[in-house]
Formats: sequence, C-alpha cells, structure tokens
Amino acid sequence: MGACMSENVKTKKENPAAEFFRSIGAFFKEFGEAVAKGDWGVKASLVVMGAGYWKRKQIVKGVLVTLLEIAVILYTVLIGIPYISQLGTLGEVERAMVYNPETMKNEVNDYDNSLLILLFGVISLSFLVVAVLLWFANVRNTYRLQKLAESGKHINTFREDCSAMLNDKFHFTLLALPVLGVVIFNVMPLIVMICIAFTNYDQNHMPPAQLFTWVGLENFKSLFTTSLTMTFGYTFWKILGWTLLWAVFATFTTYFGGIILALMINSKLTKLKKMWRTLFVASISIPQFVTLLLLRNFFANNGLANTFCASVGITDFFKNLGWITTDYIPFLTDPVWAKCTIVVINIWVGVPYLMLIATGVLMNIPEELKESAKIDGANPFQIFRKITMPYMFFITGPYLVTQFTANINNFNVIYLLTQDVYTTTDQKLAASSGKEIDLLVTWLYRLTSEQYNYKMASVIGICVFIVCAVITLFAFNFLIKGDKEETFQ
Amino acid sequence: MKKKVLSTLLCVTMAATMFAGCGNNTTTNNSTTTDDAATNDVTTGTEEAAAPSGSGETISLRVWAAEEDQTLTNELIEKFKEANPDQTFDITVGVESEANAKDDILVDPEAAADVFAFANDQIVDLVNANVLQPVQDTETVSSQNVEGAVEAATVNDTLYAYPFSADNGYFLYYDSNVVTDPTNWDAILADCEAAGKKAGMVFASGWYNASFFYGAGFTTQLNADGSTTMDWNGTSVDGINGTDVAQAMLDIATNPAFLPITDGDTANQIATGTLGAIVSGTWDAAAVQEAFGDGYAATVLPTYTCAGQQVPMGSAAGYKMIGVNANSAQVGWAMELALFLTNEESQAARFEQRQIGPSNITAGEAPEVQENIAIAAVVAQNAANGVVQSVGNNYWDPTQSFGEIMAQGNPDGTDLQTLLDNLVEAVAQPVQ
Repeated sequence: MGACMSENVKTKKENPAAEFFRSIGAFFKEFGEAVAKGDWGVKASLVVMGAGYWKRKQIVKGVLVTLLEIAVILYTVLIGIPYISQLGTLGEVERAMVYNPETMKNEVNDYDNSLLILLFGVISLSFLVVAVLLWFANVRNTYRLQKLAESGKHINTFREDCSAMLNDKFHFTLLALPVLGVVIFNVMPLIVMICIAFTNYDQNHMPPAQLFTWVGLENFKSLFTTSLTMTFGYTFWKILGWTLLWAVFATFTTYFGGIILALMINSKLTKLKKMWRTLFVASISIPQFVTLLLLRNFFANNGLANTFCASVGITDFFKNLGWITTDYIPFLTDPVWAKCTIVVINIWVGVPYLMLIATGVLMNIPEELKESAKIDGANPFQIFRKITMPYMFFITGPYLVTQFTANINNFNVIYLLTQDVYTTTDQKLAASSGKEIDLLVTWLYRLTSEQYNYKMASVIGICVFIVCAVITLFAFNFLIKGDKEETFQ
Repeated sequence: MKKKVLSTLLCVTMAATMFAGCGNNTTTNNSTTTDDAATNDVTTGTEEAAAPSGSGETISLRVWAAEEDQTLTNELIEKFKEANPDQTFDITVGVESEANAKDDILVDPEAAADVFAFANDQIVDLVNANVLQPVQDTETVSSQNVEGAVEAATVNDTLYAYPFSADNGYFLYYDSNVVTDPTNWDAILADCEAAGKKAGMVFASGWYNASFFYGAGFTTQLNADGSTTMDWNGTSVDGINGTDVAQAMLDIATNPAFLPITDGDTANQIATGTLGAIVSGTWDAAAVQEAFGDGYAATVLPTYTCAGQQVPMGSAAGYKMIGVNANSAQVGWAMELALFLTNEESQAARFEQRQIGPSNITAGEAPEVQENIAIAAVVAQNAANGVVQSVGNNYWDPTQSFGEIMAQGNPDGTDLQTLLDNLVEAVAQPVQ
C-alpha cells in the first residue's frame, strides 16, 4: 500500500516509506552512539532508567521514569510472562468440573482460557515492545542531555518540561489521550480479531469450556476450496460477485438519481421548489430501519404490493409474459427479482441524501461558465455533460468512493429486507449458510450470530478489508487525481 | 491560553466518552440485596429433612424467562423463597425468549443467567459448549415427567435439563365447517378447494418438513463432530423411497389449495382468514380459534399419499425445559430453583395462567388440561408419531433450502434424487 501511494506523490515529496525507514535507522544509530560515547550516567540508565536524569539534576523525571520501569518489569514478570509463554499453544489444560453436593458448588480445576490467553498475550506482548522502544528512547534522551550539558546549554527543570508540554509541545499533550484510546479500543481488538482467523475458534472450540489453538492458514484454504462436502469457496465467489455488483449499482443509481432529481427541482420550469425539496427530505426523517421493515412487509409474497398487483392484473400479465411461474410476484423471494427490488428500494432510501448534496454543489457552479457555454451555442445536454457533471465529479469524488465502500458493507438494507423472508434454493449456498442476496458482511454476520463460526467470520472480515482497501486506493488514484484542481480554479 | 484549556478539555471528554461507551456493555439488573444475612446465621443450626440448610451467605441468582412468563416466574420465585425460609435470596428475572436462549448464552456463557428456559432443539449445542449442569436429582425429574420430555432432556445418557412443557410440537388445526375428513392431505385439500379456502403448512423449515420423512420411517442422527447423518436419499426401514416422499411433498405443494407459509408467518396467515386448515402449534391456538370460530378443531397430523399408499406424518416433538448454567457461582441453589420451577405445582400454575401444556405426568392428567383442544392434539401427536429430533447445526439451512424448493414446486425440475443427495451431503458436513 505504502509503495503504491508513494509513487504518485513522489514528485512533490520524498518517498514517505524511505523517509520512515531512514528515521528508524537514525533512531538506532543515535542509540548506538549513546551507548558507545555516553558517560557513566547514560550507561547506568541502560539498567536504571532514571540514572541519566539524576546526573543532570532532573530528579523528579528520573524518579518517574524509574517507577515506570519497575511497574513494567513487575507487570511483565507477574502477568505478562505467564500469558506470553502460553501464546504458542493457547493453553493446554481443558476445564473439568465436578459437583460437590456438600458445598452445593462446582469444583473447577485450574484451566486455561484460550481467548483470555490470546487477548492478554497480545496486549502484554505489545506492552513489552513499547517498553523496549521507550528504553531505547530513554537512553538516547539521556545522551542528548549529556551533549546539551557538554556544550554548556540550559537543561530544563521539571517545571520547565511541564510548561513545555503546554506550549511548544502542546500537540503531544493534546493527542496523547485520543491516541491511547484508539490503540486500546481499536488497534488491540483488531489485532486479536485478525489472530482469530488463524485459529480454530468455532462452536466446537468455545472457551471457557474448551480450548482453541493455532491452525495456520487452514481457514483461508477452506474459504477458497470447493469440494464435495465443503462449499465455502463456491459461496465466497458467488457472494463476492454480488457484493461488488451491488456496490456499483447501489452507488451509481442513487448518485445519478440524486443529481437528476436535484436538477429537476432546480430547473426554472419547476414551481414550488421548496415544497418538493421538503417532501423528499421528509423521507429521511423516518428512521431507515422502519422504512426497510415496512417495505419488507409491503413486498412480501402475500403483502400489499402483491395484493394490489393481483387485483389490477399485473400478476397475470407477468405470468403471461413468462416472467413468473407463481401466483404472486416474488419481489423478495426469487434471486433475480429480489436483487432488482433491493436495488430499487435502495434508490428510494438513498436518493434524498444525494439530492441534498447535489443541490448544494449545483448552486455553486459559477453561472458565468454556463452562460458563456450558452453563448457559444451549447445545448442544455452539452452543458450538463461538459460542465455540470465534471464539476460534480470533482466535488463529490471522495464522497462517491466512500459511498462505494459503505455500500460494500451495507448491512442494513440487505439484512432488514431479506432476513426471515428470503430462502435460497441453491443447495450449495445453503450448505455454507449463504444466500444469493447476501453481501459478504451479512454472510459474516450470520456465520457469527447463528453458527458461532468466529474463525471463518474473521477470515471473511479480512477479505472484506482487502477488497475495500484495494478499491479505495484505485479509486482515489484514478478517479480523483490531484491535478484537476487547476481546471476549476 | 484559554483556547488550549478548552481544547484539552474537549480531548479529555472525547477520550472519556470513548471509555464510557466501550466499558458499559454488561447488563446490570441486579437489584439491591436485602441485607439480613447476619440474622440468618442463627438459624443455620436447625437441620431440615429435604431442603438444604441455609448457609450464612446471600444466594444471588439470575433467571431468564420468556417475556410472557415474567409475572408467573416472579410468583413462583416468591413461593420458592417461602419454601426455603432459612436462606436469604437475591433472585432477579430477566427477559429472554426460549427460542433464542442459546444464541445469547453462547456469546458469553459466564455472563449468562444461572437458570434459564430454552426449547429442546438447542440442548445439543448447549451441552457441547459445556454450559448445562447435569441434573443431580435425576430420579425425581425422570419419574415425574413424560418419557419423551426426559428423552429430549438427555444427551449421551446424561440428563441435562428440567422439562416443564410438552406442547412445543405441531399438529393439524382445521375448520370443521370446511374440512370434513382431517385424516389425510388429499381429503383436506379437496375440501379446502371446494370451500375456496387453503390448507397451509411451513415447508421451508427442517423442523416442519422432516415430518414427511420421519413418518415414512427415515431418521436423522447427530454425530460427535456436530455433523448430521440422515438416510433420506435412500430407502427407509419401512421400505419407502426418499424420492417418493419428496414427490409426495411436491404433489401437495403444487395443489392449488395448498399455501406454503414462511416460518414465523403463520399468525399473519391465520389472520387473513383464507385458511381452512393449518399445521402449527399451541402458540397459534388463540389466533386459530378466532379465525375458525365454532369450527375450531385440532387433531393429529394427517396421512399423505406416497407412491399410492397412505403414510402417516411424523412430527418433531418439541419440549421446553429449564437449564442450569454450569458456570454459575451458586450452582447448587440454581438446581434447587430449577427443580422447583418445574415441579408439579409450578407446571399446574403455568397451565392455569398461560395455557402451557405440562410435561409433568400428574399435572397433565388434570381434567382441564385434557379438555384443552390444542394441548390434547399435541399430546396425541407426540404419542402417536413424535420423534425427538437429533440434528446438528448444519442441518437447518440445507433443509430449509430443500423445503423451499419443494414449496415452489421444484421450478428447475432438478432430479429429486440429486436434490436429496445434495441435502444429505450438506448436512453431513462437520462443523468447520
């Protein structure tokens, strides 16, 4: 990823990847220099981290750093090492329970919990890595102090250090908490979740009663193979195909639908502009899931839409055309019909948002551009194609890309419209709990919530991420090249 | 400087909300405990014959029961407290439907309730996850409840749960003004067609559509690795071919008087008033009674025409039971409570308040239970042809798909043998 990004910005900046590695190199070089050329204070801080600061009369800082060192060592020895040492096997002692009628309680052996081992093992390991890096940085800092002292420059007191954190280095103070939060609540769980893709964590291996362990790339293999009894491969490609098709349709139908709607409302011939706009925006004010669940009932096999179609004669008309073989129109129960219905319903749900955005952008198009085009003899369609659309694309490009990835993960529309209604008649899909109308993300959801197949869900999650990442990178590089900016200045 | 203070504050609140948002997902429904543990110490000395003697500590238990059962469960718990006056209890009741209990328990067994109600199709998964505490007082439970219920609560020869209802099965409701002969599908469909009504059944569910196969002598068997062995693509012990059964299902499905219903949609379909007969369970009794009026009747499932002969439909007999969480800190008292909630008086009270058919033999013999049309039908069905369904997790999606193909009348015209072979292969997958 880094390499791909860097190629495009190479002309403006230095390659960020190379810069990154150079700064790492510089960091370790400085550390080496500190160890080689440092005085006794620097060398002592290899063992007692505060020593270098004490030598320069930075007592408080030295005490704090040494306390941190003791805390890290205590944590690692008491909690970290036991968990980290079990990371390789994820535990070996299975839980055994015996009921004791006298105490009326279960007596449990000292068992291993694979999930806790994985969780705390990963956390402790990252603590350890951070601690080692801090130790490197600490030695380097004391060496910098030594150099300051040698060149006779001023050495900050603790109070001065503190006030620096509120002035020159205020960005550190400001970012510390949010970064800590992101690391603890996003990065750590993410690493654990990714690790699960390489284990056999499923309903036959559920902690605390059972153990799970590493299986390497087995799960990835079973995702991409189709055999007599295993249909994960078949299901995966089928669902991936529909996911991408859906993302394209869902994104572009609402996009162009919204623009056309906005153009129509903005047209000079339209009267009562505000009323129309309000009407469409009103549909946003109803929570999406309410709309979707209502529509699911409308379009059920025995729902309102079918009753209406049957009484008007549309059902018979379709039957005569040979489009349907049933007595009802299978809006949400036939693979092809359901896909079309879902896309159409999504237009209805999504267009108002796009209309609002498009209205804003359209009002910003310089009127002179259009006027001069008109004077040059361009017809309205040419103006739309040559001026309005490029302008729209330029402004809403990033929105389009995010919308596309959001649609890949558009859980609500698919799940709420089809859950409990749609039944697949493809036996291979059914064997892997998939359905024709499933997106990767809804498939993943049902694998975890109904089958407890956490390992496969994790594997699919990784695949979804890769698909989204690749598409986003390509889209940003090709769709929204930075050099268009001048065109509209 | 002011700006910096402001932005620092903003950052701190942002981080704080992040902590608050993530850390608060444990449900706290523990009520405050009545703190009279100390006074109880005095009474610990007095030994009682059957009931366990009170220890000094307060026994905290969490119970999960269905939403409709909340009032009843609370009343029963009060009685349980009265029956054990030597002990201080802190028992709280949470809402959890019996149909979904497994889904919420398996997410985090240690955070689940100590005592919970569930339907018997979930028992294998719960046992596999080592969530269920084996019943200690097996003698009482197995002697007081009907044989089928005990069988359904037993896995690998160990009794794991306390049955409390025997009515969780399906049978035939019919409108006696429409259907004159409810004993076979051909007659029912003919009668319904003549009256302009429909006969409905859920085909797209492995719970319902297995009835055709069980009736013809086919079986399902759960294996140790979580896969299911079934013989539906061969010939049954009764000498009936699986393809003939599938053809019989197709014949019913393609009859114009038949209405395939989606699982969970039965109540809606009953309310439309188009039905003359429907295969469903006691949960729809009130709705059916309203729709059929004075014609309301229920009986055992009809026979169906299979390769020229009449074959009775079997049924997946369903029971509801109470389980004890093996992870409970007070597992002994949890078992006492489970036993109490499923004893004869509790089951009688449950029938009185909620019309739930008891699994307790004595409670089931009460005249008012026998007079209940729906419960009489389900009891008769279970006795005649009920099978305790033994299947793994991979059974449901493939059988649902198979049922849907049948319900749609096999639109692609796939060879029935191929369909059955695919089905058998799919359910035979080990859990992976």
